[in-house]
Amino acid sequence: MDASPVSVEERLFSLVLALLASEHGLSKGEILSTVQGYRQRYSLGGNNSSLERQFERDKDDIRELGIPLETIDAPDRPGDSQTARYRIPKALYELPADIDFSSEEITLLGLAAAVWREGSLSEDSRRAITKLRSLGIETNDTVIGYAPRLRVREAAFTPLTQALDRHQRVRFPYLKPGQKEPLLRTVEPSALVVHEGRWHLHGFDQRARAPRTFLLSRIVGPVEVLSATFDPPEPGQAERSLAELERVWQRNIATLAIRAGSDAELRLGKRAGVGRTASGEYTLHFTDLEIVADELAAFGPELLVRGPEPLRSAVRQRLLRVAALHQSEEGRA
Amino acid sequence: MSPAFRAQDKLALLLALVPYLLDNEQVSVADAAAQFGVPPQRIRDAVSLIGVSGIPGETKQYQHGDLFDIDWDQFLDNDVIVLTHQVAIDEAPRFSAREAAALIAGLQYLAALPEHGNRPAIATLMAKLTRGASATPSQLAVREADAAADVSVEQLAIVRAAVTDGTQIEFDYLNARGVRERRLVDPLRVESVDQDWYLRGWCHMRNAVRTFRLDRVSDVSALPTPTSRHAADIELPSSLFDVSDNDLYVELELPADALPLLSEYITPGAPKTRDGERVRVSIRVPHYHGLKRLVSGLPGLVTVLAPADARRVVAEWAAAGAARYSDDEGGA
Repeated sequence: MDASPVSVEERLFSLVLALLASEHGLSKGEILSTVQGYRQRYSLGGNNSSLERQFERDKDDIRELGIPLETIDAPDRPGDSQTARYRIPKALYELPADIDFSSEEITLLGLAAAVWREGSLSEDSRRAITKLRSLGIETNDTVIGYAPRLRVREAAFTPLTQALDRHQRVRFPYLKPGQKEPLLRTVEPSALVVHEGRWHLHGFDQRARAPRTFLLSRIVGPVEVLSATFDPPEPGQAERSLAELERVWQRNIATLAIRAGSDAELRLGKRAGVGRTASGEYTLHFTDLEIVADELAAFGPELLVRGPEPLRSAVRQRLLRVAALHQSEEGRA
Repeated sequence: MSPAFRAQDKLALLLALVPYLLDNEQVSVADAAAQFGVPPQRIRDAVSLIGVSGIPGETKQYQHGDLFDIDWDQFLDNDVIVLTHQVAIDEAPRFSAREAAALIAGLQYLAALPEHGNRPAIATLMAKLTRGASATPSQLAVREADAAADVSVEQLAIVRAAVTDGTQIEFDYLNARGVRERRLVDPLRVESVDQDWYLRGWCHMRNAVRTFRLDRVSDVSALPTPTSRHAADIELPSSLFDVSDNDLYVELELPADALPLLSEYITPGAPKTRDGERVRVSIRVPHYHGLKRLVSGLPGLVTVLAPADARRVVAEWAAAGAARYSDDEGGA
């Protein structure tokens, strides 16, 4: 029959078409014996276990594209994959007819997609844009020479989004700001949010038995996705996490004396929420004392922390430590 | 470098292409390629596959009426696509939870920028994405104020307008050495990375492409003069760091666990020496002014080993910073 092997995309495409067209769904046997890409390798009455495993992987790949591939158990055989039927309900597959996008909206979405340049977010945006383009709406190219983007440098990001979507626990070594040794943490991830330019993971910490927020840049080793799943939190967790970080940020205020004309004045002076006191000092909101202490220490003599006292002392200690570590002229080699 | 185009991407293109072809009775391969932003050959491959695909049908034999069909003469002779028979698919597919989340989070980042500051319009768009997804979008969010947190929005607007109009700008620039100079620049591209904004342009003072941090820019004036260099003529390196032959090499020591914190500075493949938990690595920097800030901002984690000059610059910087506290207490 067919001389050339069927390509992966042809097999996946044929499976989607077959499942979309079938009102009552197809059983695994029907799929393997009739659908293009499977039928060529199907052995009637023989062992099809490798083909079955192929079908399992293909289902995952198709679902990952947002295609609602459903499993319907036979009423008398719940959980039996041999008697279950598979289908893609058209109403859940198709973009609802009343959703349309203007040309300006498509342009804006193109820019939003381009915010992500690397990793899984960039792949996800690219596919979303492919789907949008199928609507055939023209875009205007006024955004040339303009490239706002958010980096996702952290290797932890991809495994964490996966675990987030599948509600799986994760384990990773975490170097808490202000500490020198990383600790292994086990977390039920519930949201990933960007606040003050930093990616944070929000989740339930198993050891602390309480919700915690982690900085992705401080996850210093591989993220292990555990097979144990958990009940997902209510939708809207990302917004709640951001709101919580925002409340902390609003509450914490540092008072700084900054040298006029310095790099510190230039960079901190433009920051959102920065204020001036009557005596010319700057007020700066912050989320985490250890993190802002690192950041302020970088400015060396360009600024002096007036308060709060714990921050003042933290910055001072950091500068003393750096000075001590670099004291001798010969190097420590 | 174009990212890998995998079987899943090919499937997404196939599923998106069918409704597009249904809406357009006759479309050239070139137009379809432009619409989807892919090379024409990818469209030809997809159409060739659609043309022979279909459903098993009543007979389970993929009979003629169970398959898509295209006008093959038009396709093969004129590079024009005409879909003549369709099966199974009518409309564009929904977004996945992650696809919708990626676009929504991108929109949240853009929302802080003045030109997209139309909040109700952005909120409407986010609601459409949520409703157009096949599952609740993944829990991702970006604080809306973040994009514009470190930049003057008025200044950003002037620079962007100049890029769009192709006109020169002039501004005061405070470089990392602390020297302030007036620069005349052909602006080519405005980029942000997280909270930091950069202008990339042809600097008439240096006669070279330069990257300027917008937070070090002040007193911008837009000139009516058209730019002499254009973005299309100049290949902008993807790295924001202007690498130079005059770069200095510095040897650092840090805990192996903390290496990711310096990933931007470490050249891939740079030799690393492990000494128990600690690692030694060499990085290149344009001068020690940036280094002293970098090392003081990772206090206690990173130590400069050599050269002695670099150690001295860092020690003096940190000591001067610490001294302000003892002076403050003594004098208060």
